[in-house]
Amino acid sequence: MISAQVLALIDNAFLSLVGSAIPASTVVLLAATGAMLGERVGVLNLGQEGLIGVGAVYAVIAVLSWGITSPWLALLIGMAAAALAGLIFAVAVVVFRANQVLVGLALALGGVGLSNQLGTNRNGTPIQNTFQEVSLGGSFEDGSVLEAFLFHDPIVYLAYIAMPVALWFLLFRTRHGMNMRAVGENPAAADAVGVSVMRSRLGYTVLGAALSGAGGAYMVLSFTPTWSPDIARGRGWVALAVVIFAGWRPGWVVAGALLYGSMISLDTTAQARGWELPFFGPSDLSFFLSMLPYVVTLIAILIPAGAAKIGRRVRATAAPGALAIPYWREER
Amino acid sequence: MTFGRWRLVRRLDTDARTAALTRVAGAVGALLLVGLLLLLTGRNPFWIFFEALKAIFGSQRGIEGVALRAIPILMTALGVALSLRMKVWNIGSDGQFLVGAFAAVGVGIHMDGPGWLVLTAMALAAIAAGAAWILLPALARAFWDVNEIITTLLLNFVAIQLVTWSALGFWRDKKAAVIQSTEKVPFTLPDLPGSKSLTVALLVPFLIALALWWVFRSTTVGYEIDTIGGNPRAAGFAGIRVRRRILTVMLVTGAIAGLGGMLQLSAPGAQALNAGFSAQFGLSGFIVAALAGASFAGVIGGGVFIASMFYAGLVLQTKGLSVYIIFGMYGIILTGIALGEIAARFRLERADADGGVDESGDAGGSGGVDGSGDAVLEGATT
Repeated sequence: MISAQVLALIDNAFLSLVGSAIPASTVVLLAATGAMLGERVGVLNLGQEGLIGVGAVYAVIAVLSWGITSPWLALLIGMAAAALAGLIFAVAVVVFRANQVLVGLALALGGVGLSNQLGTNRNGTPIQNTFQEVSLGGSFEDGSVLEAFLFHDPIVYLAYIAMPVALWFLLFRTRHGMNMRAVGENPAAADAVGVSVMRSRLGYTVLGAALSGAGGAYMVLSFTPTWSPDIARGRGWVALAVVIFAGWRPGWVVAGALLYGSMISLDTTAQARGWELPFFGPSDLSFFLSMLPYVVTLIAILIPAGAAKIGRRVRATAAPGALAIPYWREER
Repeated sequence: MTFGRWRLVRRLDTDARTAALTRVAGAVGALLLVGLLLLLTGRNPFWIFFEALKAIFGSQRGIEGVALRAIPILMTALGVALSLRMKVWNIGSDGQFLVGAFAAVGVGIHMDGPGWLVLTAMALAAIAAGAAWILLPALARAFWDVNEIITTLLLNFVAIQLVTWSALGFWRDKKAAVIQSTEKVPFTLPDLPGSKSLTVALLVPFLIALALWWVFRSTTVGYEIDTIGGNPRAAGFAGIRVRRRILTVMLVTGAIAGLGGMLQLSAPGAQALNAGFSAQFGLSGFIVAALAGASFAGVIGGGVFIASMFYAGLVLQTKGLSVYIIFGMYGIILTGIALGEIAARFRLERADADGGVDESGDAGGSGGVDGSGDAVLEGATT
């Protein structure tokens, strides 16, 4: 009897943790999906941090300086700006075959620098035209677990339900998706059967960049509706880790993003409940918990890889075979 | 690809000299682009350039300011360059630098004893901490084949949070009112003779560069590392213990960056840790290593160059430049380096030099040895 009560309590706490992680994870989910799309065709875009920044700052500029009142339009503008940045990256690494790691880091640095510079005069100005929450199933009491799951803005539903399903279908149920995967695994083979490696890589890198930009725009149009410097705060890097954790599968990207988000909301939960860290002062738990999302993300990458090496039964989900390798037709 | 009478010919082998030249050319081209962008946004790049030169070379203070920033940048760059010899990307040097400083301050504020002893212990602690910080990514890379880029980078964020925690939390100096930082270490490294603000720390990166240069020139270990960098599978067949070498090299790169943190901490005036202790020195170091292409002499040159830019950026902050613009510039420069690197793999050749006498000399003279290694690109770009 007691155990059932305890179980229910744990259950409830767990559900509310995951529920409150949903908005916190959306940025990472969008960026990770964008990164995964590029990596599926063999392009590693380390510039996620910069793309989130560019998407966010142009959404802010659209609202505050260009007088855009619709959050949808602001989102599109942020996505377009990030797509443009992604196009520069894609031309450098796909057309000119420059080193993807170097140019990716350049995009991360340059994108963060550019967005911070553009955002300087807009620091802290609140954004009024945010996305509004819509209920997915009647009405419920404030603060209930159901509310945490079924009361969000439309971007959340798109990012958590529509996008992964659509991408799963595209990647694993269509010929086009098979061609995409072939380009990422073995571009020479794809090329031989007439798939344009360059077009596929350019297109999906740019589309992926637009999705990452949507993550940034979502941040300022819903999650924290104001500009602040270094707005991505490492989410871009976490997104890249989530892709590895997810084994390049759209559904698992959702799980990885939620894991990160749960760690973030653990901090607010702990503060609300007045938890304390043993042997330390009362304010130390927050510092400790702020390290946790990165540590947990790191461990989440290592465990499947290590398990695959140690136990033979676990199959490792390998990266696309041609990831980060430029394709030269005459070297095949 | 043909352009009138010229065509682009791809080389399969690029000599180090050409590669270095094109990388530098790429960086210079990127700087010119930055100048153009500054001009377009209403700033005068020529004025900024001369102000920067004046700030650096106008006084001893400027030169020492550059040297002071060059130390952490060189230390992180040397670590990255070492790992690049093996085609391993250590992007976590910023984190290793920070935990090095963290360990050093921990020893420095808790240990009693003569200054030289405490400083030695601090240095050892920093080396150990830097290596420990990369241990997990190194083990995962060496034995589980987990890509090191993301794992090393994620730990940077953990290090930043750890340092912030120590400065605002458990080691916080309760007397300091203005900037929240840890308590101060009472000792600093001995001054460099003839300078106002520099210590013997300046010598350390040069000594390490020299040592690394020697290792790669004259020892089996260096040769093995280069072999792994060239082709890990072949290195394995040749009897080299690839996994063990990867682990050792990664730990050494972490140790060098960690020692860099201790050197930075032992500069007069620093001596304590605060949340802004590393101005992303690891990123600057990474750019230096990319520019130098894993040549240790190149790291010294590139490090001084990037440190000058960094210092100029700091000085000119009040005059229309900002840290943000500097990081934006870094991005453009890094792209320029990457494009320069790829340009080294091509060569412009006269289109009519094909069947007849080769005018370029080297290819024809050596009986087509060089020419046979080239792939001719004629509309064959996918």
